[in-house]
Amino acid sequence: MKLYNISLQSLRRKKAKTFFLVVGLILSVASVVTLLTVSKNVNASIAANLDEFGANIIITPKTEDISINYAGISINSVFYNNNNELLTNDVEKIRTIKNKDNISIVAPKLLSVEIINNKNVLITGIRFNDEMRLKKWWNVNGKIPSKVNEVLIGSEVKKKLGIKLNRQLKIRDMDFIVSGILDATGSSDDGMIFMDINESQILLDKRDKVSLIEVSALCYDCPIEEIVRQTSSVLPGANVTPIKQTIESKMTAMHRFEHFSFGISLVILIISMLIVFINVNASVAERTKEIGIFLAVGFRRAHVMQIILLEVITASLLAGLIGYLIGFLASRFIIPVLTMDESVRIVYDYSLMIFSVGFSLAVGFIASIYPAVRATRLDPTTAFRSL
Amino acid sequence: MSLIEINNLIKKYNTGNETVLAVNDLSFSIEQNEFVTLLGQSGSGKSTLLTMLGGLAKPTSGKIVVDNIDVYELPSKTIADYRREYIGFVFQSFQLIPYLTVEENISLPLSISDLTNQEQKQLVKLILEKVHLEKKAKRLINELSGGEQQRVAIARALINDPIIILADEPTGNLDCKTSEDIMKIFCELNNDGKTIVMVTHNTAFKKYSHRSIELSDGRLIN
Repeated sequence: MKLYNISLQSLRRKKAKTFFLVVGLILSVASVVTLLTVSKNVNASIAANLDEFGANIIITPKTEDISINYAGISINSVFYNNNNELLTNDVEKIRTIKNKDNISIVAPKLLSVEIINNKNVLITGIRFNDEMRLKKWWNVNGKIPSKVNEVLIGSEVKKKLGIKLNRQLKIRDMDFIVSGILDATGSSDDGMIFMDINESQILLDKRDKVSLIEVSALCYDCPIEEIVRQTSSVLPGANVTPIKQTIESKMTAMHRFEHFSFGISLVILIISMLIVFINVNASVAERTKEIGIFLAVGFRRAHVMQIILLEVITASLLAGLIGYLIGFLASRFIIPVLTMDESVRIVYDYSLMIFSVGFSLAVGFIASIYPAVRATRLDPTTAFRSL
Repeated sequence: MSLIEINNLIKKYNTGNETVLAVNDLSFSIEQNEFVTLLGQSGSGKSTLLTMLGGLAKPTSGKIVVDNIDVYELPSKTIADYRREYIGFVFQSFQLIPYLTVEENISLPLSISDLTNQEQKQLVKLILEKVHLEKKAKRLINELSGGEQQRVAIARALINDPIIILADEPTGNLDCKTSEDIMKIFCELNNDGKTIVMVTHNTAFKKYSHRSIELSDGRLIN
């Protein structure tokens, strides 16, 4: 028989005590594993949704003019700089950067102010598929243009020009059909007429020209500055500007959830340490007589400490593995509910298994050090008197 | 030179504001292979003397020299080794570990030795035969009678082959017949060369020993 046999037999035969110690730790480990897995997956899910919720990079042609800004973005080059315009193939260059996998949406735009019914209206050539992904808040009455000569108009345009759905609209002597009308968005989109970018290039006589490019980068786990730098290097004639406000609000939303998860994990950590501490401390108090026997048969204080710590470490190891499995299974049920997406692909971090066993061992070890030391400091006379 | 030399031994306890003189200037010696009974009323200092002999309670003053070793001059780690090598304890309430089997209880002192499991098993088997418990090796302690439990405790005390057996009222919880059986085992051990120091209330057991030492209020009276 070796010292570890004493610890193992103690755990095996003192079933109630072992049960409460292991179950306490299992609940803690399972809760932390569930919380971290759920947090990671829900964060990824929210991030994916947020990343497609509006652009976070704006690309405009470079200009020597004094900058005219709106919300931190230079817009003067869009209208007045004809020498250094962006081209259609610049759009494809963005997809060639090193971090191309982080690029979610690239939405080029061609802008031009036209006079319709004696009113200035901004004509915007867009790629409808990309734009609809970029502006998930758009609500279209009628249908999104899918044929040639179809346009989508903003609510202000409808009001000021008095145009109705499916009616004709003349721009530069060309007839278009209003296939859809945007519900009011409260943005500049309300005052625009949208058409396919290729058609707008022909209509405005700006073949292969692009006024600006909006980019939505998946920035939950990537540095936006790095994507901006890489994009600038493939588009040397362009100003590549990150929209800090958008990024910061996304990151704030992410971090809030992360902080919440870590806060709860910390509370669980403290509770589980208390459970182990109370359990082991009570066990030492109960075992005064047993410690007296160990000392009487010639055990050193270090041997007594080894027995107690081995018991807790074995229980912690067991609890870490079981807790991981339970947390792993629980997160499979919780994540689809929280993300409201049954088809969500759950990303499991297998290093979490090492973490959970390590977490359990650390909790068990730290919480039992004091009781174990107390056991070794037990006055032999006190222990012996209880015999 | 005697096996055990006790010189001017004093042990004081503090209980609240009061100081109790448990052992008061004791001096005597015990020869190798001697069987000594320590007699006296409750509180006379018998058990305190036994714990000091076993290296578990440091005397307030005085010396205990065992086999030419001044026990309390040893570093605290080495006192544990002294207990393991020189002393086998037997208690009134047996003091066995309830979650270990008979053979595990007996091999408890060996669990910190360098012996392999196989070597330990052989030693345990020999000792079990000596105390006639070979058929109960796999039983848990609560499945044994009081007499059997005390035989397990004696076997545990013998497993390291100590030269001294310290027994504190070993028959206190046993009936007359079983007590006689246990005393016979002590006599056999003494015949095998063990030095036995036994605390008892029962003066009838004086007949088994070579010598009786009687204590009263921590002093030697006989």
